Amino acid sequence: MIIHSIFFYFFSIIAIFSAIMVIVSRNTVHSVFFLILDFITISCLFIMIGAEFIGMMMLIVYVGAVAVLFLFVVMMLNVSQQKNEWLSGEKNSNHIPVGLLISVVIFFELIIVVGGWKYKPELLKNFSSIGIDLSTTNTHEIGKVLYTDYIHLFQLSGMILLVAMIGAIVLTFRKRDGIKRQSYFKQISREREEGVELADPKNNEGVKIDA
Amino acid sequence: MEFEYLIIFLPLIGSIISGFFGKFIGSRNSEILTSLFVSISSILSFLIFYKVFNENYINNLDIFTWINSGTFNVNWSIKIDALSSVMLVVVTLVSSIVHIYSIGYMSHDPHKQRFMSYLSLFTFSMLMLVTSDNFLQLFFGWEGVGLCSYFLIGFWFKKESANAAAIKAFVVNRVGDFGFALGIFLIFYLFGTVNYTEVFELIPQSLEKDLSFLGINFNAINLICILLFMGAMGKSAQIFLHTWLPDAMEGPTPVSALIHAATMVTAGVFLVVRCSPIYEYSPLALNIITIVGMSTAFFAATVALAQDDIKKIIAYSTCSQLGYMFFAAGVGAYNVAMFHLFTHAFFKALLFLGSGSVIHSFKDEQNINLMGGVWKKLPYTWLLMIIGTLALTGFPFLSGFYSKDAIIEFAYLRGNTAGYFAAGIGIFTALLTSIYSWRLLFKTFHGNYNNKKLNISSMHESPMVMIIPLIILAIGAIFSGFLFKDLFIGIESSSNFWKNSIFFLEPLSHDHPPSWFIFLTPILVILSIPLAYYFFIKNNKITNDIVNGNLPLYNFLKNKWYFDELYDYLFVNPSKKIGLYFWKKIDLKFIDRFGPDGISNLIKNISLLAVKFQNGFIYHYAFVMLLGFSALLTFLILK
Amino acid sequence: MLEITLGHYLILAATIFTIGIVGIFLNRKNVIVILMSIELILLAVNINLVSFSIYLNDLTGQIFTIFILTVAAAEAAIGLAIIVIYYRNSGTIRVQEIDKLKG
Repeated sequence: MIIHSIFFYFFSIIAIFSAIMVIVSRNTVHSVFFLILDFITISCLFIMIGAEFIGMMMLIVYVGAVAVLFLFVVMMLNVSQQKNEWLSGEKNSNHIPVGLLISVVIFFELIIVVGGWKYKPELLKNFSSIGIDLSTTNTHEIGKVLYTDYIHLFQLSGMILLVAMIGAIVLTFRKRDGIKRQSYFKQISREREEGVELADPKNNEGVKIDA
Repeated sequence: MEFEYLIIFLPLIGSIISGFFGKFIGSRNSEILTSLFVSISSILSFLIFYKVFNENYINNLDIFTWINSGTFNVNWSIKIDALSSVMLVVVTLVSSIVHIYSIGYMSHDPHKQRFMSYLSLFTFSMLMLVTSDNFLQLFFGWEGVGLCSYFLIGFWFKKESANAAAIKAFVVNRVGDFGFALGIFLIFYLFGTVNYTEVFELIPQSLEKDLSFLGINFNAINLICILLFMGAMGKSAQIFLHTWLPDAMEGPTPVSALIHAATMVTAGVFLVVRCSPIYEYSPLALNIITIVGMSTAFFAATVALAQDDIKKIIAYSTCSQLGYMFFAAGVGAYNVAMFHLFTHAFFKALLFLGSGSVIHSFKDEQNINLMGGVWKKLPYTWLLMIIGTLALTGFPFLSGFYSKDAIIEFAYLRGNTAGYFAAGIGIFTALLTSIYSWRLLFKTFHGNYNNKKLNISSMHESPMVMIIPLIILAIGAIFSGFLFKDLFIGIESSSNFWKNSIFFLEPLSHDHPPSWFIFLTPILVILSIPLAYYFFIKNNKITNDIVNGNLPLYNFLKNKWYFDELYDYLFVNPSKKIGLYFWKKIDLKFIDRFGPDGISNLIKNISLLAVKFQNGFIYHYAFVMLLGFSALLTFLILK
Repeated sequence: MLEITLGHYLILAATIFTIGIVGIFLNRKNVIVILMSIELILLAVNINLVSFSIYLNDLTGQIFTIFILTVAAAEAAIGLAIIVIYYRNSGTIRVQEIDKLKG
């Protein structure tokens, strides 16, 4: 168990540290990097405790797609060149202590759950509706359930992704003027009258073509 | 055919038509319409009166139920008995005469329809008052006549003094009404009902009831009677609450004739007589009424001696005669009071309308010192005024003689010193009455022509439409005493007539006073005529010397015993000061600061603050969301 | 302390959650940091779910995590698209200068 705890503390300290650095760093690109580090650490943590499918999924989706997307946008928007003031005297600078206070309050409230178990250990019972079978892999387990009991939600999440994709395209798409493009529709639907014009040239005469 | 409905509601219909549609039907039509309706009422009242005294007709029609709440039942009703039928006759007759007279008097006024409408509305209220069978409807009529009095006194509302006089009348009346309302509340509290018949039945059983207020025990019946009398004092302008009556002369003269001679001011007497079943059981209240009545009679007569305005003299004369009526009621002779009310209506209205005719001829001059010597120019008016004055002073065989002398006789017949004293004051006041009435007549019509503005040749008589009503009144003034004296105050026939409408605890004494007493007053009255002529016309100098020699007394009388100044000092100025204080300090600084102005400023400031929340920064919004979230979480956890 | 219980994982998740929340309103830089903070919050939720699932022997937590992953990705995409548009229109993504909702 000691290995377990060493690894746990190691990963969790790195995760917390990088989470803080996400917020605090002056350079936005650094923030994104620290976010990536955070994701990787947590994914290692997941693998350690036995939910390896989730860990891998996180690596692929979060790090590989979302964080990279963040990087793209950060680079595109020229953000890093913008100056950042964190603790300089702004008009609402007295709102940092209050904010910190409130967040400490929330933190402790979230922790209360843990304390509660000391007094009422029976809350920690197993209510498992789907037991984890340790004989097969985690992936297998999830697959067994996902495509049978939760198929509707699975399809729905697919649709959410579709809508998100379409939404992103719709939002950012813009037409540029002055670009020549082909319009296949127009090309195919051309009639003979518009396309062909019978010209009857005389000898030694040219044809005047109106464009 | 139920005539009673017609009698009561025809004036109301006339008032509504003339008031709301007067513009459409034209002024001449509205005058004719209202006068016609009230005249029909008057004829029907005579019919009812005849039925009452011939066939002993009594009736109590319920028009509809007004309040029906638990055991408290009050109906709008018309009660006809001897008392109310007499009042019906008086009110409708004088009202119709005044309506017709006003056609002529107000011919130059642009607001004739409004005037006629108010007159008819007043008649309706007065009729509701006298035909009620419960205290609540009586109060409704009471307030209604007060309201119409306000309207009519302030009829020429562009005049500052008229407005002030109207308000004064209403406010002084209000003081009396306060006592009146308390009396009605007390009646309801003690007896659980405000209907006359039920209350009167319960009175004899409740003689010992006591009421404790602020630790003092009052006998309930006494208290009721005194409170009701307060109302009567206000309405009938008895001493202390009389200040409004002379100022009410700001209204047009027909108003003075109708309201302040014959009808509204007699409502107080009517109230006391109607409540005779209660008053008979309260000797204390009766004594108070007697004293107040006599004092008023004396006070008003003395003041009238020193007045110069023709209408004010007649107003004080009214006040004085009302004192006589209350005095009669106070000694228990209710029927005599009603008789005097009846005759007084005729000759006082005659005097007022006649003076109106004089004023009309003098182009609105009212000071008798600026009149004189026109008896040849205004013969009808002169003759009619003489008849009125003779009746007022109690010249033998005219109406006033029978009624006023009956009062003095009853005072004498009481036998005790109070009675003798009262009789003496009564005779002295009668003498004063005679003196100032003849002073009025002589200074107006005889002597030298003292008017500076008008030429004597421009004096002409009033139109017939104004004279004929006066003739009718004069007939009443001459004959009503003689014709009706048996009916009203005769020994046997009167109890046949009045029956249950007036209650006597012990029958009135039927003795006759000694002969010298009977002749005393008439002789004094007859003698005063040449005396007055001598002192006021022939030999002015002696009068002027007496006046100048007793200037303080003269001023005291002329300034109405300084009552107005006293009330000003005691009540009016402090009220004004309190009102000013309340307005400036409390209303402006306090209530407005915390109320509308303060709150509107507060809201503005708060919303300015609230606007700062919406500064557009998303992270602020997120922070606020977070705050809310943490609060919710804390609340849930702590629960 | 050596025995890693569910509570440890929960504390870790709570920490990251709080840091994410702090990041939303305590940054003065630009809006992208807000989006990253949101990702952090979702990450904390994922940790929570997975650790519950493992410790209570219930597969439901992991299934839910997959879906959260999906939705988070979709939302990040859209959010970034919006930021791109906004930058196109107003030229800045500094937080102080985004106050079009003011009023």
